[in-house]
Amino acid sequence: MTDGRAVVDLLRELAPQVVGLLARRYGDWANAEDATQEALLAAAAQWGNEGIPDHPRSWLVTVGSRRLIDTVRSETARRQREDTVAALEVDAAVSTADDSLTLLYLCCHPALSQQSQLALTLRAVGGLTTAEIARAFLVPESTMAQRISRAKQQIRSAGLRFEMPPKAELGERLAVVLQVLYLVFNEGYTPGSRSVAQGADLTDEAIRMTRMLRSSLPADGEVAGLLALMLLTDARRAARELDDGMLVPLAEQDRSLWNRAFIDEGVRLLAATLGAGPVGPYQLQAAIAALHDEAERADDTDWPQILALYTVLEHVSPGPVVTLNRAVAVAMVDGPLAGLAVLGTIATDPALARSHRFDVVRGHLLELAGERDAAIEAFGAALRGPASAAEQRYLALKVARLSAGHT
Amino acid sequence: MKYLIAMFGSAEEMGTSKTPEWIGEMIQFMIALDGRLRESGEMVYNEGLADPSQAKVVRLQNGQPVATDGPYAEAKESVIGFWIVDVASEERAIELCGEIAVWSGAVELRPVPAGPPAEFL
Repeated sequence: MTDGRAVVDLLRELAPQVVGLLARRYGDWANAEDATQEALLAAAAQWGNEGIPDHPRSWLVTVGSRRLIDTVRSETARRQREDTVAALEVDAAVSTADDSLTLLYLCCHPALSQQSQLALTLRAVGGLTTAEIARAFLVPESTMAQRISRAKQQIRSAGLRFEMPPKAELGERLAVVLQVLYLVFNEGYTPGSRSVAQGADLTDEAIRMTRMLRSSLPADGEVAGLLALMLLTDARRAARELDDGMLVPLAEQDRSLWNRAFIDEGVRLLAATLGAGPVGPYQLQAAIAALHDEAERADDTDWPQILALYTVLEHVSPGPVVTLNRAVAVAMVDGPLAGLAVLGTIATDPALARSHRFDVVRGHLLELAGERDAAIEAFGAALRGPASAAEQRYLALKVARLSAGHT
Repeated sequence: MKYLIAMFGSAEEMGTSKTPEWIGEMIQFMIALDGRLRESGEMVYNEGLADPSQAKVVRLQNGQPVATDGPYAEAKESVIGFWIVDVASEERAIELCGEIAVWSGAVELRPVPAGPPAEFL
């Protein structure tokens, strides 16, 4: 028996390379992806018992090719297309890193819905099985299978091909890729909503795929910034929820539980990136996360520096959520009343009207200001918003503590 | 047999009427219950719901869907979470409802119809 985890890790690493090779060899992306998925399932079953073959990638390509030719043969038997496609030259000069990148651009094409982008990316680039993706999103497997097949239909009907986007579009397209990877990360990181023990962990997968993207684009500051942001955020994972499911806010977390290796790696990445090129929102958010992570105690947090970074972030990528976070930093530097004044500037922003975050922040700042009744009212308002079950419990506890007169 | 177990209550009301200790114990119970149901293989699905003030009722007016607030905006208690469980008997389902009722308002139990027995088909 081979270590099951080693097999899974290897399969996920090889998956995008196999899809890329088959897609270039046979020119049919959607069938190449299906064939790869079948080869992965066959490998998972066989390698666990018989061990990993000497040339695992060739094994997958061979099995995938057979499946693909079977499919093409049955689809177009009378035209005998397999003779034609098998004759297509494979460009040996194209590296696997380029294939993975091309695949990411295709799965994160702006013509696809966000749901499709997430599902396709996890399957084709991440090498997850449909069943694993379904479990991660807590939907039935048949639902996820249907979502993936619809995503492929969208790709077909939009006439998208397995090729690099034109140079002029690269910037915009990369922004979508980064957004999709960050969404995968957040989907996994949302507290209290996911069962980690159930198999694929979306947070880990997002970090892994972003590492892969970085090996394709080592010079891009925002790719490095996103990877650093994920590492510096995920570093706090073990501390932000107690065993009984209770959320622990940053200031109250047991910092000895933080992942030192992730913090060190994230900080190193940032140090090598900041100042080397134009600074973007992911680098700035990562820099803010780094300042939190580097403080030994909550009281040591360098809030003036965090406030300076939020001010830059607000210029680079303005929006009410950034302002909301800046209000917290202002409160920590200049006092809660100054923070509440910043909040006042976005109180009527329609983008926040359907969110409970505004009232959560308002409650915290009012509590800091010693306005107990107003804080209770604000947390109550937050409870009437779309808070998750874990947040609802946290907020109800907050209200109960304030009502009981201790914090 | 599958059942819907719907829990009634109000998170906001709980915050103002219960002690922090009580809420802490309630949270521990809920997490532990979900864990037990998952382990025993009885859990099909469960979710907590957003506050009833977020609820909308959609009706057709002249063939067009029209959404209005409600119907629970003024109600003190409404559905705040639910489980779909697959259990051996109604007794087991009622037992679970009893455990939940200790920590919530009313609990509604509804069978999910499973179709006629095979011998009638």
